[in-house]
Amino acid sequence: MLNKLTYILVLVIIVTMGCGDSSSDGRELTRHPGYEYMPNMYRSPSYETYSANPLFNDNSTARLPVKGTIPRGYVPFEYENTLDDYIKSGEELINPLENNLKNIEEGEALYVMFCAHCHGKNGDGNGSIQHPLYGAVPSYTDDLLVRRSGTTMKGLSDGHMYHAITYGFNAMGPHASQINSDERWKIIMYVNELQKENN
Amino acid sequence: MNSLLSSFVKNVIVVFLFTTCLSTFLYSQDIALGESLYKANCASCHYLGPEEKKLIGPGLNDEIFEEHTIEWLYKWIRNSAELIESGDKVANELYEEYNKAVMTAFPHFSNQDIDNILEYIRVGPPEVTASNEQVTTSIEGSESNTSLYIILSILLFNIILLVHVKNTLKNAASVERTNFFASVFYWLKANPSVIVFASILIVFSGMKGCWNTLSTIGVAQNYQPEQPIAFSHKIHSGDNGIDCNYCHHTARSSKHAGIPSVNVCMNCHTYINEGAITGKEEINKIYEAVGFDPNTRTYIPNYDQKPVEWVRIHNLPDLAYFNHSQHVNVAGLECQTCHGPVEEMEEVYQYSKLTMGWCVNCHRETEIDTDNPYYHDLHKEWIDKYHGEEVTVDMIGGRECAKCHY
Repeated sequence: MLNKLTYILVLVIIVTMGCGDSSSDGRELTRHPGYEYMPNMYRSPSYETYSANPLFNDNSTARLPVKGTIPRGYVPFEYENTLDDYIKSGEELINPLENNLKNIEEGEALYVMFCAHCHGKNGDGNGSIQHPLYGAVPSYTDDLLVRRSGTTMKGLSDGHMYHAITYGFNAMGPHASQINSDERWKIIMYVNELQKENN
Repeated sequence: MNSLLSSFVKNVIVVFLFTTCLSTFLYSQDIALGESLYKANCASCHYLGPEEKKLIGPGLNDEIFEEHTIEWLYKWIRNSAELIESGDKVANELYEEYNKAVMTAFPHFSNQDIDNILEYIRVGPPEVTASNEQVTTSIEGSESNTSLYIILSILLFNIILLVHVKNTLKNAASVERTNFFASVFYWLKANPSVIVFASILIVFSGMKGCWNTLSTIGVAQNYQPEQPIAFSHKIHSGDNGIDCNYCHHTARSSKHAGIPSVNVCMNCHTYINEGAITGKEEINKIYEAVGFDPNTRTYIPNYDQKPVEWVRIHNLPDLAYFNHSQHVNVAGLECQTCHGPVEEMEEVYQYSKLTMGWCVNCHRETEIDTDNPYYHDLHKEWIDKYHGEEVTVDMIGGRECAKCHY
């Protein structure tokens, strides 16, 4: 009787141990990165993109561009971050990209990435951000209130939007570092579609 | 006479109760309407609170009723530009104070609408009770734990008592007490096969243990380093639904997914100075790095900015080349495919193994998109070559050594 029990017990233990895998779903999170075999094959002495760097005063490998230089492909924006220039750019700037389906679709993808969480997926201002401050974003189809641009949201021109994306506006921050010039124009092209809708 | 008096008193009480109920009902209705109007039209520029808490315009509280008359407020809210042009002294002072930022005109607001909004401003926002709730839950948690401990200790005490009673009874009946270890030893002597099984068990478990340990070398799965700022991906990406690409915007165009520079944080945190869980403490670390004064909402000139030293989680060895843009932009993979449900993680950990076997497996299984018109001829060639089989990444060279090791 006892012997039978022992056999079963041993079998059960061996089976359960064999099933156990080191990468099962019950995750044991660890603060330690683990060990590497021959780490000098893994880690070269050169500095990685964001690694600490003793060669610079602020100990950072990530650098700002040298003053007075611009990156390749960069399009300078000649308007200042003032209300006057905001209105001026609204009057003067024209979208340089061709208005076609491809550009609008790319604009939509970019809009979802960079704008939708505040302005809403369909531009109604009901984004997914919970904070009350960003709960009062105006809809692109609003044709009632005259804004600081001198127009309603529906009447915002491409230049107003380009200026606002570049420098920020009201509680919206500047997005120039995240969205390049072409991408801004594509987003504006999609917003033009949103301005038309629902009316 | 007496009954007449009492019925009169009763009536008075009933009327009184009715009017108070009605007035509170109307009152709350006003505030609710005002709140929704305020949130839809005012909240993006005006914080509800002390005047010093400036967003675009001043913070609003009941002080505005001392400073301005209701008539003035009506005019200002309906069309402030008109009021400024009419040469109103107070209006012009405000206009100058806020760098000539004109407040949006709300000509369609009725007097009732504005009254509702002002009532909401007068009462102010409801007190936040989240911190209280947290305290009560933690107390409840500890209470349930203590009761568990009490039950366990009672059980333990009972067991000890029973064993003691049993031994005393045995002593009284003068039964011979045997040593526990001695009896086990005799039993083992009688059953030598048990020893054989036990040794097999020990050897196997040892081997299995060694194998498990060896297979974790160079694999940092589940690595969750402590970060300098308690940034929660759950709050930002999960609860607030911010797209991964918003902050990691170079993932589409670069080898690296990109650690957002602090200016990206400041896009929202110029105005959001307090977190839901950690309050001001963690967000202040951003301001400290970049030199921003949240009270005046200005950057401190000539501030010695310092980088935020985030700890890198995914450390691919230098001998392997990996490019984000190829996977995000060309293959169109979701970030979660490799990084797991980051939008549910308070603190991010390495979800995948990032071993070579893991990479190659995915390349074997993933079918390529043959619809791209740019590669039409090439794709047609492959489809012919593989006789209509699924064309996977490894079939077009995704398993060649030099793709990743060079």
